[in-house]
Amino acid sequence: MTDSNRILELFKNNNERRFMPFLVAGDPNMDQFIKLAKIIEPYADILEIGIPFSDPIADGPTIQEANVRAFNAGVNTKTALKAIKTIRSETEKPIVVLTYYNILIQGADTIEASLDITFKNLKENGVDGIVIGDLPIEEADLTLKACEKYNICLIFLVAPSTTEERLDKILKVGKGFIYLIAIMGVTGIRDTVAQITKDTIKRIKLKTEKVLPVFVGFGISKPEHANAIIDAGANGIIIGSAIVNIVKKNLNDHKKMELEMKDFVSSIMNAIRRVN
Amino acid sequence: MDYIDKYPDELGKFGEFGGMFAPEILMPALNELTEAFNRYIHDENFIEEFERILRFYSGRPTPLYYAERYSDFIGCKVYLKREDLNHGGAHKINNVMGQALLAKKMGKKKLVAETGAGQHGFATAIAGAYFGMPTKVFMGEIDIERQAYNVYRMQILGAEVIPVKSGSRTLKDAVNEGLRFWIANLKEYHYLMGSVVGPHPYPLIVREFQRIIGKEMKVQILELEGKPPDAIIACIGGGSNAIGAFYDFIDNSNVQLIGVEAAGEGRDTNKHSIALGLGRRGVLHGAMQYLLQNEYGNIIETHSISAGLDYPGVGPEHCYLHQLNRLVVGEATDNETLEAFKNLSKLEGIIPALESSHALAYLEKNKDMFKKDDIVIINLSGSGSKDLDIIKKHMEFSIK
Repeated sequence: MTDSNRILELFKNNNERRFMPFLVAGDPNMDQFIKLAKIIEPYADILEIGIPFSDPIADGPTIQEANVRAFNAGVNTKTALKAIKTIRSETEKPIVVLTYYNILIQGADTIEASLDITFKNLKENGVDGIVIGDLPIEEADLTLKACEKYNICLIFLVAPSTTEERLDKILKVGKGFIYLIAIMGVTGIRDTVAQITKDTIKRIKLKTEKVLPVFVGFGISKPEHANAIIDAGANGIIIGSAIVNIVKKNLNDHKKMELEMKDFVSSIMNAIRRVN
Repeated sequence: MDYIDKYPDELGKFGEFGGMFAPEILMPALNELTEAFNRYIHDENFIEEFERILRFYSGRPTPLYYAERYSDFIGCKVYLKREDLNHGGAHKINNVMGQALLAKKMGKKKLVAETGAGQHGFATAIAGAYFGMPTKVFMGEIDIERQAYNVYRMQILGAEVIPVKSGSRTLKDAVNEGLRFWIANLKEYHYLMGSVVGPHPYPLIVREFQRIIGKEMKVQILELEGKPPDAIIACIGGGSNAIGAFYDFIDNSNVQLIGVEAAGEGRDTNKHSIALGLGRRGVLHGAMQYLLQNEYGNIIETHSISAGLDYPGVGPEHCYLHQLNRLVVGEATDNETLEAFKNLSKLEGIIPALESSHALAYLEKNKDMFKKDDIVIINLSGSGSKDLDIIKKHMEFSIK
């Protein structure tokens, strides 16, 4: 079961531009989350799912609130993984988990043993990759080992502030793709695609070409943004807050939530496919 | 013991504790801060300027005062290290003046900080005014309510107080929001961490700027008693006053070092802040430490009568010293703390901060541990004048 990894398979075949939408597991509750994941699935190349953490320091208010909604609905790491397993039973698309380090180091006396349990669980429930919001390359040795053992891609974040020296280190061990943070800030919707985003994509692409694809996230909320970012050279785009916002806006009307969600993700997919 | 100046290591670790579990976006800023700190802490001009500020502006050295009536009450020799007499009314000033000076040298124009009780926010606002650096302070909504006077004080000094509405709306969430703000404003701002918590290099920086407490104590107690104390007692929230008082005594194993945590309504309730005593290892705010968390690693809400100790984690160096059995960990409940608060006020004419009252409460509960001639130093980290809003809920103030 640890032989193949769907992310690596996806990138083997062709050079298409990709779309990775993000939902928080259990937002606004577990049943509705699974429903939303199924609605998104046909338009996604990779599904990104957040396992909620109480103190997500890299996230803006939109995703923090989604975490709170999930906790209030009784969600925890265990039930989140169970939901991922349910989604996995209906799709063969890659699933990437986003969470924070403290969520991963529970369950045993040592950090190493805890990571082993966690990554075994992730793999068994169908996870192909992981993004860890507060795990820089300096602290990643034990996690890299666990990822390697269970054939899960450890996807590193790269920021506009990341130096060349750090980028080199990250490219040596990162797997799957690079998650490029488009702006200097936390997650959340922005009106336009900043020049720093385009400049950073160009700078990073110089080094990553033929090493790892570059996906860009943080702040993207419109098809035009997606286009601009793909035009700047990105291999894929990641949308979180704009999607979570559709959940938030329609908490009292799940039908509308579902319709809006479908419209939105299909508009992004169309924008990206146009470029291909 | 051969401990002093050995930790943290290059990665910011105290044994397995500490480190840099920070978002990638912060890493270059943290590395820049580490480099600048390591350069300036060995720069004679910097140290001279820092010491000059502490002496002429804050009023250091603070006295080491023999509390005679309180000593009689306890039954051993009790000295109080009067950090409450610092400008601003607490030890916090040592750290903020050091960090703001460092920030200025690094070319930063503005300061951002978190605050719980408001003491660190107030101190940061003082530093902001002193250095002419615009200052933003993130503070939980609940803390704003229970520490209204510190909010006014910060505003009088020209700082902007930003209410934090997320999570438990206390100190831990103020740290989250402060860091989020910093992430988006790294160029202009220095994040002025208030305690020995957070990612490397903060636990190192804050310790080094607070070490002045223990260094003065060491000289003062030799002058007064001709020998080191038998014990030093300090309260621990994040732990900056404690590490400042303890650090230069760590290698002398004859000096017992006792850190007192806030037991709130009791260790058997879920309303306390006993991170060292009851926490499990985990990562929060960039560092591996003992944390109050649930089985899934989500941080649980804490409680203490003193907002300054109401924090689910504790400085990584305290965790390591505890693991090495060099730090004795004690605790005091809200009620025990109030009792000690009243006792010291009546016996010595000194109103202690509720935080520091935890250290007094520990001594009062454990007075049998000490013999008549034993010397105990309490680090009186702050003044209780800020706590009157809380105190008035627990004391009768009727005039007959």
